[in-house]
Amino acid sequence: MRTNYVVNSGVRFQLLSDDQLQELFDGVLHLLEYTGLDVYHDEARDILEKAGAWVDGLRVRLPAYLVKDALTKAPRSFTLFARDGNPKHNIHIGPGRAHFGPGPTCPNFIDVETLKRRPYVKSDVPLVAKVCDALPNIDFVESLGTVGDVDYELGALYEFAGMFPNTSKPIVAWSYDRFDSAGIHEIAVTEAGGQEAFERRPNYVHYCEPLSPLVSTFEAVDKLIFAARHRVPLIFTPCPISGGTAPVTSAGIIIQGAAESWLGLTLAQAIQPGLPYFMGGVFSVMDMSSMILAYGAPELPLNMAALTELAHFVGLPLWQTGGVTDSKTFDEQAIIEGSMSVFFSALTGGDLCHDVGYTESAMTGSVFQLAAMDEAIGYSRRITRGIEVNEDTLAVPVIHNVGPNGHYLREKHTRRYYKNEFWYPKLCDRRNYEEWEMMGKTSFKDRTVARVQDILATHQPSAIKPETERVIEKVLAEAEERVKDHK
Amino acid sequence: MSEILEQISTAVIEGDVGEIKDLTEDALDEDLSAEEILDKGLTPGMDYVGVEFKAGNMFVPEVLRSAKTMQLSMDILKPLLAESGVEMVGKVLLGTVKGDLHDIGKNLVGMMCEGAGFEIKDLGRNVEPEAFVQAVRDFEPNIVGMSALLTTTMRSMESTIKVLEEAGLRDKVKIMIGGAPLTQAFADQIGADGYASNAAAAADLAKKFVSA
Repeated sequence: MRTNYVVNSGVRFQLLSDDQLQELFDGVLHLLEYTGLDVYHDEARDILEKAGAWVDGLRVRLPAYLVKDALTKAPRSFTLFARDGNPKHNIHIGPGRAHFGPGPTCPNFIDVETLKRRPYVKSDVPLVAKVCDALPNIDFVESLGTVGDVDYELGALYEFAGMFPNTSKPIVAWSYDRFDSAGIHEIAVTEAGGQEAFERRPNYVHYCEPLSPLVSTFEAVDKLIFAARHRVPLIFTPCPISGGTAPVTSAGIIIQGAAESWLGLTLAQAIQPGLPYFMGGVFSVMDMSSMILAYGAPELPLNMAALTELAHFVGLPLWQTGGVTDSKTFDEQAIIEGSMSVFFSALTGGDLCHDVGYTESAMTGSVFQLAAMDEAIGYSRRITRGIEVNEDTLAVPVIHNVGPNGHYLREKHTRRYYKNEFWYPKLCDRRNYEEWEMMGKTSFKDRTVARVQDILATHQPSAIKPETERVIEKVLAEAEERVKDHK
Repeated sequence: MSEILEQISTAVIEGDVGEIKDLTEDALDEDLSAEEILDKGLTPGMDYVGVEFKAGNMFVPEVLRSAKTMQLSMDILKPLLAESGVEMVGKVLLGTVKGDLHDIGKNLVGMMCEGAGFEIKDLGRNVEPEAFVQAVRDFEPNIVGMSALLTTTMRSMESTIKVLEEAGLRDKVKIMIGGAPLTQAFADQIGADGYASNAAAAADLAKKFVSA
């Protein structure tokens, strides 16, 4: 009998050594203790001071023990739940599990009919949610845009109201301020069946973004406080830019960005011990010619892999980034940049990998890029699932029976495994030339567009409760009332 | 062209912040006028940098170093230019609008415009419309540049323009705007004179405004 038999069936990948991780960890603690951050929120500074932070004006410095204490309180494993109870749409956060989804706030969108770039509008939200709901390798939902055709303060609220009924996958909710957060929470809690039920089975995650270098803005912290008090799982994700708003070196941007994220962690755990918390975010370089934040740069997946390992080293899940491109169109660049970062992200097991479907350096959201990346994620997941080695998979007797010159097509062993051992593409074409010609000589792009349009024509997400529909209407009406004095 | 002017051009191109002050003093000692040093030494150097930057042969940190080099020389030349009645290219007033703390893009615009020969006043970030008005009165810029990163705060640009109108100052300045979510269409909608998609384009636009 074999006991304590270790099966390394997944792919082993490690970028940094334990010594390097310890140095990064010590670097973050040092920054927090000696440099600190500016926190533009009176109440947040009070809470932190009471918890043991040193406050001097706006500046907040965190002693290392306080940060370590917060790290021990935050869970490494937990579940985000589908609003309709569909177990396939639940997300189990934990070691070795990479999940994927889109990002928020692109000002532009690729129109699903004309395939042209134009400003993002309210009616795009349900389409994005529906496509996410249908794609098998997309696990959580964001909107890929900032709603431009409603009052400018209500974009985030209309975004959530448009997504929630059109997908049962967990949503990552972005918002402008506490008003949005309260509206979003009311909708989600109604569907969950009350605050207590929501706390047991949270169906969305709240997203906040501090400012680099080393600033916690009023809005970011204000939303964090709201989410922590209502026990909403939290993402606190900075977007430092190497060479611009962060050091030019990978090690430098990682410790600065982690310090920005752990200020949020320490605050959140002081308010709500044990709150599920993701450190983030987007760690890439400033292109020194175009001055853009480069989403397609190899430094993005490299930095994100290192950040994932640091997060896991200290026992936190990570808000990863991938499936993104600087390309302006659906072309080879978009697919190379998107696929490489998706694969790297899958290798690291970074827990929620966002921004899938971003094009033009996050300026334009595209469900076509998203659908293409769904294919790349499937491909990547097959590889990272690895190879299982045991008596049955070794197939010694099968090989013996088939012998020289035989074939395996009719073997029970083949029938038992072929569906799981092989990955089946949805968009990549493997037909022979004649069949491909007969089927209209389609390109990868043609098939991606067709798949998206087919999903939009046929996919039916599960419905929300009637009372939730009423609450959505009520929340939007109240919000419109609040801003009615805007011209 | 005299050797010293060539050396000044080269110093600007190479971003030689250590040598530029001495070179400028040397040129003045050789009885070259401040205007000649500017027109035949500094400006050709910065023009070369601009061309190389657009061609992808020079990068932002080098361009900023060149701009800084030019700036150090201009600190010496400015009073002399004023004495002899030579006008500067122009003045640019900059700020990130009310509610917004993001200012890396705006800082880049300032450095790029400085490199193009403009005098810059930077009001920083989270700038109230009234602060823009006061600075337009005091600093008398040719151009006001406003920056925002957030879709919520970009609306402050519109109110800033309104307040400038109410103060009777709108016609005295050209207004340019920039920031990730902005577009030419938004610039037109709020009545700005121009939009630039990056810092180099902003410096070009500023030059266009003052030469028009």
